[in-house]
Amino acid sequence: MTYYTFAFYAFAAIILLSAYAVVTSKNVIYSAFSLMLTFFGVAGFYALLGADFIAIVQLIVYVGGILTLMLFGVMLTNKITETEIKTGVFQVLPASIIIGMFSGVLIASISNNRWTVAEKLNNPQNSLVGIGSILMNEYILIFELLGVLLLIALIGAASIARK
Amino acid sequence: MNLLPFYLIVSAFMFFTGVIGVMTRRNAIIVFMSIELMLNSANLTFVAFSSFLGNVSGQVFVFFVMAVAAAEAAVGLAIIISIYRNKMTANIDEINILKW
Amino acid sequence: MEMKDLFYAMPLLIVGGGILLILLIDMFFKGGKKIIPALTFFILLGTAYYSLFTINQLPIGLMPVSEFGLFYGMLSFGGKAHLFYFLFNFGSAIAVLIANDYLKKIETEYSEYYILLLSSVLGMMLIAGSRNLVMIFIGLEQMSISFYALAGYRRKNILSNEAALKYFLLGSFATGFLIYGMAFIFGTAQSMMLIDIFSQTSVLVKNPLFMIGILLFLIGFTFKIAAVPFHMWAPDVYEGSPTSVTALMATVGKAAAFSAILLIFVSVAKMGPNSVFSSMFSVVAVLSMLYGSIAAIAQKDIKRMLAYSSIAHAGYMTIGLAAVNPSGIAGIIFYLVAYTFMNLGAFGIIALLESKEGKFLSIEDYKGLGTRQPFLAASLAIIMFALSGIPPFAGFFGKYYIFLAAIQSGDTWLALVGVLSSVISVYFYLRVVVYMYFSKSDDESAILEISQTGLLAVIASLVLVIAFGLAPGSLIRLISGLI
Repeated sequence: MTYYTFAFYAFAAIILLSAYAVVTSKNVIYSAFSLMLTFFGVAGFYALLGADFIAIVQLIVYVGGILTLMLFGVMLTNKITETEIKTGVFQVLPASIIIGMFSGVLIASISNNRWTVAEKLNNPQNSLVGIGSILMNEYILIFELLGVLLLIALIGAASIARK
Repeated sequence: MNLLPFYLIVSAFMFFTGVIGVMTRRNAIIVFMSIELMLNSANLTFVAFSSFLGNVSGQVFVFFVMAVAAAEAAVGLAIIISIYRNKMTANIDEINILKW
Repeated sequence: MEMKDLFYAMPLLIVGGGILLILLIDMFFKGGKKIIPALTFFILLGTAYYSLFTINQLPIGLMPVSEFGLFYGMLSFGGKAHLFYFLFNFGSAIAVLIANDYLKKIETEYSEYYILLLSSVLGMMLIAGSRNLVMIFIGLEQMSISFYALAGYRRKNILSNEAALKYFLLGSFATGFLIYGMAFIFGTAQSMMLIDIFSQTSVLVKNPLFMIGILLFLIGFTFKIAAVPFHMWAPDVYEGSPTSVTALMATVGKAAAFSAILLIFVSVAKMGPNSVFSSMFSVVAVLSMLYGSIAAIAQKDIKRMLAYSSIAHAGYMTIGLAAVNPSGIAGIIFYLVAYTFMNLGAFGIIALLESKEGKFLSIEDYKGLGTRQPFLAASLAIIMFALSGIPPFAGFFGKYYIFLAAIQSGDTWLALVGVLSSVISVYFYLRVVVYMYFSKSDDESAILEISQTGLLAVIASLVLVIAFGLAPGSLIRLISGLI
């Protein structure tokens, strides 16, 4: 077993266990911190996949931004989120059967697919140059629109949350 | 050894964990966390394909998804704060919130 | 990117520039707030006009770009995209008319309403015009984030807060499915460009992972069109949001989601063994039609009733997808146009009658409206006839083209279920008409002053509903020419 596969299995275990904890934990704070572990595990996967830039962005945006916002929400609204927001009309059994079947089909087709793999994977390059050039050429319009989207999200958030 | 299917299977498990969380949990913030799990698993699938196929545009997509997720989280927090404000003034017991 | 790309992307530039212009006016001119609704209205109307007259025309002396697209092939120009641009902009212009006095009535008159409205329109246009998966995603999120904020726009109203939270959670859930699906489409097709994906669909449809990707993509958008089994958010969100916002998301918002489905589904369906998706859409269509029509019967709140009816309408349009032929697609677009203006008219009338405290929303309140407000009652009656599919209004021809397409492709049973569901729906639509004309009101208190702009919105939708009903041929010929 090489170091690479060892790291892969370690990160996979972190991701799956902490994702399970997010969903099943009774305490919201525990869920939030398990989610942080999941984000770290995913960042580790990105690093293993040679996506160094995305790994760093994952840490900055998800752990530094989104998770902090969530914790803020948890602590601010602890009283109201304890109240149930869904009544028990949801059919858990048929839903879980459908999800089980669907995941089975998905995983079976993933493992049976014949994958063609690019050669350069064996020697991962710094991905930043490629991302930068594609972002400023093909995806320039979307990059600009993303700015509009963030502006709108700010205006929308301010519009809802102000007194 | 080709690890691509393993990456995809880990992300599939993560995705369905998120789906189950959305469907079974009743707390709004945990539902939102489960949605973040789903988004992360989709991102992981993208990066795995991108790196194994040698096509950078998958990573660019992940970059966009992260920015959008941050924007969504901001709006989501604003919505939760506005509910919090109204509930401080309204009677909590009488509100039958969100049947589905 | 070249300079002429900017010229071709004119509709997007007008709306996007409008957002920034209104933001600046709001910030720097104290007296400017009064002109913002009018400015928004004319921006939308101008864009609608430009889009309508460039559907078939290409500027002289320039190459037809629709072949390879704008901005490195990210955006398309002309044709179906511009028809959708017209629908989004014109429908939203009517929604601005509805909103203008409605916002004064509920005492929440802020200019960010119009900024968010314009940005949602920008998002819809990005969806309809996109030729790249990333573009679809960004457009959808732009539209959805604006809608989340608009749904919670009455921040002092707990119903509006709840609607926003529910729409937000389920909308993000749908986004999760959507991008997971896009990941598999990307992984199997090895490209984000729709044109590359379409060129290899005949091979890809044999790959189960690609089909799972398309399925997840379609699940994401089935949420957005509110078809069964992903409809559960629609009644609460439509009921809780401010009426002027419901008018927007129930009509053009749904049209935008359909434009995305058409974008990706049409070419996939053309190529491969379409039986899988055809039968899937048949199930969705039947469930949506029957569930929507039957659940609407039990409703007491008129906005909730229209929400269930919009689930049923999503079902009728899905028949066109199940038919998988060009006439089905033309039928869907015709139905979307008719549906948009019928519902804008209906919600426009509701917004006119609704009082600040949220009264006049129950169907019971419409008793005796025929004598108290003869014009509004007559308009609402015509719109209810149109929604239930009684000729000679636009709704009838929408259903006619869809059912015809189903029969052409051999799915006669789907058309029969559609007719059955229409017959059921006649009951709850006509109940409103019966209340208006054949019952006495218990409460004879005067209705608030009727707003002028809101009346204009109702008249505009009514004229279009009648016009498309009397002369459907010109519109369906235009649509068929674009497919």
